[in-house]
Parts: sequence; structure tokens; C-alpha cells
Amino acid sequence: MLQYFLRRLLLTIPTFFGCTIVVFMIVQMAPGGPFEQRMLQLRSISQEGGGGSMTSNQTIPQSAIDELKRLYHYDRPLYEQYAIWLGIWPGEVESFKLKFGQKRLIGNGKYVFVEKSGDTYVVKDADNPSVIIEGWEFEKAVSDNNEPMIRIVRKKLAGIFTFDFGTSYKFRKPVIELIVDRLPISVQFGVIAFILSYSVCIYLGILKALNHNSKFDFVSSTLIFIAYSIPGWAFGAVLLLLFSTDTFLPIFPLGGFQSVDYDTFTIFEKILDRAYHFVLPSLAYVLAGFASLTMLMKNSLLETLSQDYIRTAYAKGIRETRVIWLHAMRNSIIPLAAHIGGIIAIFLAGSYLIETAFNIDGIGKLTIEAIRSRDYPVVFAFTVISVIITLVGSIISDLAIATVDPRIRFK
Amino acid sequence: MSKSKNNIEKPLTVNQRRWRKFKSLKRGYYSLIILIVLYCLSFFLPILVNNRALMVKYEGNYYFPAFKDLVYVPILKNFVDPPFISGNTLGQEGNEAECRYRDLDEQYERENSDNYVIMPLYPYGPYEGISDGNKEFVPPFQSIDGMSPRIFGTDDGGRDVFVRMLYAFQISITFALLLTILEFLIGIPIGGMMGFFGGWFDILFQRFLEIWGSLPTLFLIIILKSLIEPEGVIAQFIMLLLLLSLFVWLSPAVQVRAQFLREKTRDYVAAAVSIGVPTSSILFKHILPNSLVPIVTSLPFAVVGGITALVSLDFLGFGLTPPAPSWGNMVSVGLERLSDGYWWLIVVPLSAMFLTLIAVVFIGEAIREAFDPKVFSRLR
Repeated sequence: MLQYFLRRLLLTIPTFFGCTIVVFMIVQMAPGGPFEQRMLQLRSISQEGGGGSMTSNQTIPQSAIDELKRLYHYDRPLYEQYAIWLGIWPGEVESFKLKFGQKRLIGNGKYVFVEKSGDTYVVKDADNPSVIIEGWEFEKAVSDNNEPMIRIVRKKLAGIFTFDFGTSYKFRKPVIELIVDRLPISVQFGVIAFILSYSVCIYLGILKALNHNSKFDFVSSTLIFIAYSIPGWAFGAVLLLLFSTDTFLPIFPLGGFQSVDYDTFTIFEKILDRAYHFVLPSLAYVLAGFASLTMLMKNSLLETLSQDYIRTAYAKGIRETRVIWLHAMRNSIIPLAAHIGGIIAIFLAGSYLIETAFNIDGIGKLTIEAIRSRDYPVVFAFTVISVIITLVGSIISDLAIATVDPRIRFK
Repeated sequence: MSKSKNNIEKPLTVNQRRWRKFKSLKRGYYSLIILIVLYCLSFFLPILVNNRALMVKYEGNYYFPAFKDLVYVPILKNFVDPPFISGNTLGQEGNEAECRYRDLDEQYERENSDNYVIMPLYPYGPYEGISDGNKEFVPPFQSIDGMSPRIFGTDDGGRDVFVRMLYAFQISITFALLLTILEFLIGIPIGGMMGFFGGWFDILFQRFLEIWGSLPTLFLIIILKSLIEPEGVIAQFIMLLLLLSLFVWLSPAVQVRAQFLREKTRDYVAAAVSIGVPTSSILFKHILPNSLVPIVTSLPFAVVGGITALVSLDFLGFGLTPPAPSWGNMVSVGLERLSDGYWWLIVVPLSAMFLTLIAVVFIGEAIREAFDPKVFSRLR
């Protein structure tokens, strides 16, 4: 089993790199991406200040464009940009141009200056000149009017693998913090929906298979068609309208995932409050995968029940419940196990729709808002995280199949 | 005697039998008829539901403004600016812009002249908003300022919800149908080649499919849409179509690949190869028709996916932007102002979507039943 797991894990690595290359290409190539947005900003600023010169190329000094390119690592070859983005190649995180002996602010209210010592240079704290600050690299540079300058550069591994997704433009916080804050909320919904859908769908599917072509089967099939035709978020919208507003029966909260004064509650009240807020969104989540899961269970069990070995089991005189639960279920559950990864993807896709509908501050709503406000670090972090979640889902699927189907394990 | 002669009919072909079976499944059959009729009718919406008059007689001249919209299909409207008839030419003094036909009707009646206006059945257009003298958030079945009642009220821009719902029906179905066609046009050749040629080509594309399938589809479409931001409804429509088709062809490709893998080992293919039939006609004449069953049965569900995708994107605000008629957009306005109780903005478009989708699902279920009559026998 462990060997199977490791082999499966290794197989995902090329897929992961493939996916990240696609995402990276979108980041770099897409018109109107982060780099071009910055260029546009710069252009509009310099046009305001530059007396309204009409040709846009003249308004931005070449040095400013070069600085910007450096900031986005556009001066590097493409493979290096990708490696920096992944965080397996040191990229420049800070870079300053200064004259010898000149003081310069490097953030956090700290001033430094550069001195020559032998063949190399040293960076020193301006407030306390005896302290040498380590970790800088040096490059020769020239100023706009051709005076010699020195560029000090700090390089760091910062990318996907170091969980360094940059800083959100809007929240002014590291993206990873934002995600760590909000991911648990989304995961809670996902887990509840997952447990609910599997337990309801498996049971309903079995009942439907055992009563195939009965009145119950017919009625529940119609309901399943209806469920299939409503997207989860649309169902959520109707639920909100019916049970949260005055139009019908206002018994549930108007969206959100906890009350405003949640922090003042006792632990028992907290649980109740969460549960109270979770009812409607969870229903909407469950609906998302409900129809396909139930029909999968039903058809798979029906097919198993028409196999010869089930006839043999009956012929031996085994009780019906035993035949169904021990003999038939083992084989019927295999397609459902294969479906687990898909369900995770469905919940992920549903998260931005349902969280938007219910106004839940989860990761889905965060990213939709990030796209609206062009907060690129958040957007691309979420894209990478979704890829990881999808891949983990497919591994879980395969492991689940391997658990219920011993034939697969030693392939 | 003649009756027994008739018994020696030609046996039914497979497709005839499938069609018979499909017709016998009333739920799906009637859904198909209703949808086809409604979709065809939707092309005549400009002369049924419009704020432009069907016919105007003014000082001996006849004008047919609404019929011009017929030629310009609703979504194409933004593409080719429809030439309108200004208010001045029809006697609406001081109106250089497009004539307001409802006012014109009243004006002619007051003047008691020979001139007359014939309005469509429901005299409101999909694009007219507050600037054309409409009030926002009018509840259903209420008339404002003595105008004929609004069946489903108006939305945040003063646009008529009933009219937008009808026009959005046409846009959604057109979108889903075009998307489905594109999906299969891309998916079937690639899947077919993967299955038939196998080898390196297959392995390469399998890896590619795996990568492509692991990407968060809806999210990437949203990102790309927000990056490119095309102007105009028609450009947005085409862009969404192309963006979605980049991702949705995966499932038909996988299905067709499996079918081709299975079919190419059959005896009839071996026979065709041995008598020297060229590869292309083996592919297209022999294997392809036999591989299409799962494709045909999945077709209605692809349409369901297309409609849902468009409505979801509109709902999130990354689909067609208003004033384009769209179901999702109305729902998002209704949800944003949930506590104000504009229930019709949620109920009307969602009901329209639901009824459309369930009709398509019924068709799909009937097609599946007709193509793949599985008989489960329980042995006990």
C-alpha cells in the first residue's frame, strides 16, 4: 500500500509542474496582467506630471521601465522567471541604487550606506556605522546622468514552495496569512457537505436500487432530476429568499458564517451559532453533488446485483441483508470511491459561487473579490492552491479505490 | 389478404428503433418539442416583445421599426448599430434621438388623426432603462404612470424583468448549443486520434489531459475574462464561448478515446484493413459512427453544463455585463439587495433557468434510455 501511495505521489509531480507552468504562463503572458497594470499606472502618473505629452513612450523614462522589469524579474530568461516564481531559484526581493557614501532608506525606517572595502563592498547601518549588514549582493550601475552608482540587491527563495505568495495589494498582508485565516471556514463547509452528501446519497442510492422501478424509485428519480437541474448556488439563493427574508419565513440568518458578537459567546453558544449559520449553505453545498452521487450508487448496485456471484450467494441461502451489505456493497462502492476526488473539485468550484451567494468570508469569496480589485498575488495563490487541492483529491480517490478494490493495489 | 403482405416490411434500422423508443418516452419527447418551439419562437421576440412599434403610419408613410430588429438578432445588436427612426421624422417634436413609440401612440390618439401606431404584444424592450423613463424595482403586475402593467416588474436599471428573462432564454440556449458544438468539434478528433493511433501521441495527450483537467476551470476563465475585458456584448459572448471551449472538450475526448480503443480491435476494422480500405475512411466511415453513442447521450448534459456555466459566470459578474439580458445578473442584483425583498429578481430568472434545464435533462434522460436500454434483472 505504501509503495502504491509513493508511486501515485510521484506520478502527480509532473502534473503539478505542468499545471504551474500553465498558471505561470497566464500570469506572465496575459494581456492586462500585473506587469502591464503597473505600467499603465506609471504611465498615467507620468502623463499627469509630464505636461500632457502625447506619445506615451516618451513619458516614462527608460530607467523606470527597467526598474519595473527588475521588480517583476522580466529581465531574466523565462525559465529563470518560472524557477523564481516556484521558489526554487533565489529571486531579488529588494534592490536599491545608491552612490558611494550616500544614505538611503531601505524600509522599516532604516538607512544604510555602501563602502568599498578592498575588492568588494559592504553595506553599513547609517545610524551605527560599525555594524556591517550581511546578505546583500552588489552590482555596478549608472545613474540617469551617467554617474557611477552601486546597486545593492537582496536575494531570497520566495515562491510557491516556500509558501511565499507575496503581499496582497488590498489587505497589505502576506497572502499566506489571508489564506490561512479563511481556508478553515471553507474547509468546514466542504467537510460537512462531504459527509452529508455521502451518507445521504449512499443510503438513498441503495434504497432506490433495491426498489428499482417502484413508485418510490420513480418519485425520487424525479426529485433527483430536479436537483440536477438546479446549481447549488441557485438553490442557495432560493433558500435565502424563503428562509431569511420577510417574503416567507424568516428563521435563518441573512448569510455570513457566524454572528457579529460571536467572540463573546460561550463555547456551547458558539457551536450553536455556527450550526445555525451553517444549515442553509450546507444544503446548497450538498445539492451540488447530490444527483450524480445517488444515481452512481444506484446504478452500480443494480449492476452488481445482477451478477452471477450474487445469485450463488442467494442460492446458498444467505439472508438478503447479508448478501446486499457484505457481498454486493463491496463491489458497488468502487465507483463511489473513484468519485471522491471529483466531489472535492465540485466543492472547490462551488465555494466561490455559494460563498458569494451566502456572503461567507471563505477563500472562494476572498478570491472573487481579489479578481474584482485586481489583487493578483491572492488570485494566483488561490489558483495554485486549487491545483494542489485537486491533485490531492485525485490521490485520495486512487487511494480510496485501492482500499476498497484489492485488485488494484499491486499493479 | 393485403394485411399479411404489409407484414413483410423492411426491418427497422437501429436509429429508427431508437427514435421510436425516444418518442415513447413522453416526458423527454414533449420537452424536446416544447424547447424547439420556444427556441424558434425566441427568434421572433423582436416583433412579439419590443419597445419599437410593429408598424407606424405617419402622414401617408408606413414604417416598420420592430422588423429591423428581427434581422439584427438581439446579441448582434451591439455589433451592428441598428439604424433607428428619430422622433422628429414621426412627428415627436424635438426628439432627435430614437422615437419613443409608446408615447407616440398616445400622441396620435390625442391628435385624433389618421396616423396610428401598432405596438407589439408586450411593448417593452430589453435594453430600455431608467434613462428611457422607466422606474427601477417596480413589483410584478403593477403599472406605473398609466403604462400597461409589467408582468414581472423591473430590475435595478429600470429594465423589464419579463423581457430580459425572455431574451436571456435565447442567449443562454444559443450559447449552450454553440459551446456544445465547439466542445465536440475539438474533443472528438483529439479523442479519436488518441484512441486510434495510440503510442506516443496517446501518452503525450493523456499527460496533457491530466494537466488540463487539474486546473481550476471556472476560476481560470474568470481570471482570463477579467484580464482581457472585451467591450460589447457580442465580443464578450464570443470570448466566453472560446474560453469555455478551451476547457470543456476534455470529457468528450476521454469518452471518444475509450470508444476508439475498443472499436479498433473489433473484427470489422480488421476486415476493412485487410481489404485495403484507406485509414481515413476506416476512421470516419467505420469506427466513428460506432463510437458516437456515448457522445450523443452526453449531448444534452453538455448543454446543461453550458447554460449553468453562463448563468454562474453572469452571477459572479464575469459573464455578459448588463444591460445584456442575463439570468445570472438579475439574481446577483436580487441577492445583493436581499433584505429589500426584491424577490422577483431572484425567482423569475431562476425559475426560467430551472424550467429550461429540467426540460433539457428530461430530453437527456430519454435519449439515454433510447440509446442504451439497460435491463437489470435481479436474481435471487
